[in-house]
Amino acid sequence: MTEATPQADITLFLASSVHDMKNSLGLLGGMVEKLVAELPPHSGADRADYAHMLYELKRINDNLMHLLTVYKLGNALYPFDPVPTLIADLYADLAVQNRVLFSTRQLALQIDVSADLTGYFDVDLIAGVIGHALVNAANYTRDTVRLSARELGGALELRVEDNGRGYPPAMLLDSRAGLTGVDFFSGSTGLGLYFAHEVARLHRNREHIGSLRLENGGTFGGGCFVLTLP
Amino acid sequence: MSSNPLAPYQCLVVDDFQGMRSMLRDMLRDCGAKNIEMSSSGKEAIALLAENKFDIVLCDYNLGSGKNGQQVLEEAKLRHLIGPACTWIMITAEKSSDWIMGAVEYQPDAYLIKPITTELLLNRLERIAAKKQAFAEIDQAIVNKQFLRAIALCDSKLKTDTANAAELQRIKGQLLLNAGDLDAARKQFEQVLTLRELAWARTGLGRVCYEQGDYTAARDHLLQVVQTQRTYLEAYDWLARAQQALGDNEAAEAVLADALKLSPNSPQRQKNLGQLAMKRGDLTTADEAFRKSIQVGEHSILKTPDAYIGLAKVCSASGNGGEALKVLTAVQRQFDSDDVKLRAKSAEGLIYKQEHRLAQANTLAAEVDELLQASTELHDDAASIEAAELLLATGRKDSAVKLLQQVVRNNHENKGLIAQVQTVFDGAGMQQEGAVLVEGSRREAVDLMNRGVLLARDGKLVEALDAMRAAKIALPNNARVLLNFAYVAVLLLQRDGANRELIAESRQALLHANQLSPGEKRFAQLMEALALLAG
Repeated sequence: MTEATPQADITLFLASSVHDMKNSLGLLGGMVEKLVAELPPHSGADRADYAHMLYELKRINDNLMHLLTVYKLGNALYPFDPVPTLIADLYADLAVQNRVLFSTRQLALQIDVSADLTGYFDVDLIAGVIGHALVNAANYTRDTVRLSARELGGALELRVEDNGRGYPPAMLLDSRAGLTGVDFFSGSTGLGLYFAHEVARLHRNREHIGSLRLENGGTFGGGCFVLTLP
Repeated sequence: MSSNPLAPYQCLVVDDFQGMRSMLRDMLRDCGAKNIEMSSSGKEAIALLAENKFDIVLCDYNLGSGKNGQQVLEEAKLRHLIGPACTWIMITAEKSSDWIMGAVEYQPDAYLIKPITTELLLNRLERIAAKKQAFAEIDQAIVNKQFLRAIALCDSKLKTDTANAAELQRIKGQLLLNAGDLDAARKQFEQVLTLRELAWARTGLGRVCYEQGDYTAARDHLLQVVQTQRTYLEAYDWLARAQQALGDNEAAEAVLADALKLSPNSPQRQKNLGQLAMKRGDLTTADEAFRKSIQVGEHSILKTPDAYIGLAKVCSASGNGGEALKVLTAVQRQFDSDDVKLRAKSAEGLIYKQEHRLAQANTLAAEVDELLQASTELHDDAASIEAAELLLATGRKDSAVKLLQQVVRNNHENKGLIAQVQTVFDGAGMQQEGAVLVEGSRREAVDLMNRGVLLARDGKLVEALDAMRAAKIALPNNARVLLNFAYVAVLLLQRDGANRELIAESRQALLHANQLSPGEKRFAQLMEALALLAG
């Protein structure tokens, strides 16, 4: 019988490495945005490259954050903290965070929300979910993405809509089943959707539970990412 | 919006990482800031905050060794290095439990999770500025402890400001508790809860029940919070209190231990756990908790001498007198105060006494006695009681009795504290004599106060004020006396017209009373009356 060599518990390093990587990504992202700002106008090809870099950086950052949060949620370590929040503020922040990505890709971002619509949710989690959906939409849309929100039957409905070709049927099915596995063909790990589902379910008001659905159609007839919070 | 929106502001950047420091500075510069100070540690930041007035502080949460960002903020707020107008943004890599410890008074204006961009930062600063402006009047009233005025301001704002409604509701609930208006507070929390289950409202309701003495209901409300929103730590503290009031110290201990698992960084909560465990005779838990309190409090302004005194007692009870003495030396190094010196010396003397080293115990008792004679200040109740214990144990009865009588006179309505004094007498074999002394002191306080109250009832307000002032001098730490003094003063001022000196004296008495006994309804009412008189 061979004795197992003691192995370090990887979770011990998870949080600290993620911090470290996020710091690096933050600096990197800042540099790229600076470079974009210094680009002469009409430098099409360079602009597209930088846009791609930004897109990938955002994806890495989102994934890291999702990984860490899923780990913390699983161990009941996440400080879940629903607070009253203006949706207009949430969307304004997301627009700022993704401004360079949208402008370099020459995509329009429409925001449709009344100035005093308030919701109760964990801002960081919801910003993570909607932000990820926004980056995805930017990748699959034709030229426009729309963020909207409204109160519907006492619940809050947050929508991310695009005018692309919509979600593939398999994803719509998976979304309804609430489970997504790793999809090696599309390059999607399913982490983003899993994260979104978990975050939705964390939000409760008495017997009502938050939910997520994907659909095609909506304002532009493209993909719709719809988060409902009680 | 001008192109240099931050130009007029004094800014401070606190980060231990050079790269981040420069990046944050550049961001502020891009927004037009001209006056930017930088610091790489919490200690340095505190020094800068003590010397300058800053409008904007960007502080990293994780500052390496030494103080963390939260501890810098706590110290800045407690030492009044920053006021409500200062914008404090805490920058972190991820969300932490320490954010929602429930102690709203120590929270920054915003947390920003990395990565941060200039636009995002500016966006957030503008939003905070707008919010500060919306809440400026309320904040000022709270700083001035004008709770009723602040409540009225919340009410009028609630009529129009839908965007801030939720925050206004929460602040109003807190203010009603501070103002001791328990019925209105209950109504407020219940009304919020009909629409949505919210941790702060349920916790508020639990607190109302607690203050009204309905500890079972308090426990049930707070249990509900703890079960549905595990990370809302304020509820744990009140739950532990309710369980203690119900006599279930074991459950209270478990609740505090749970809260500390979520967020171990509160010196106060660790100390509370230690004291609870000590009460139950659970020396192992007490030992661990007191040590942890000392450890996490190392760089914190919230560190408490109680943890050291507690640890010394645990060590001594576990037959480890040597370490106990070391701890008592350490506490005097950590806290430069007469009360701490008194407590440390008393505890040291009692350890000698227990080890039958009587000569040394006597020497310490003599030192304690000397300290007491030399100081004109009134000592805090814990210090007085602990000193009296040693003095009684070493035959210095007169000094001890004087101290204990003072404690009773200044707390004549506090049953718990009076019972503690009686226990000290009991321990010295003075059951009956002690009981007579305690009752005598209690009566003395009542008589002193009644003299003024009766005169006031007869409309002899000038004489009543003199009598209350005499009572105030004799019982400087008696909240009831202080409130009654202010009450008589207000009657007199209302009759004879404003008098700036008396208004100032009354306000001081009220603020002192509020410190001794927060949440008194009369405090809020009298502050309001004084404000009206001052015009």
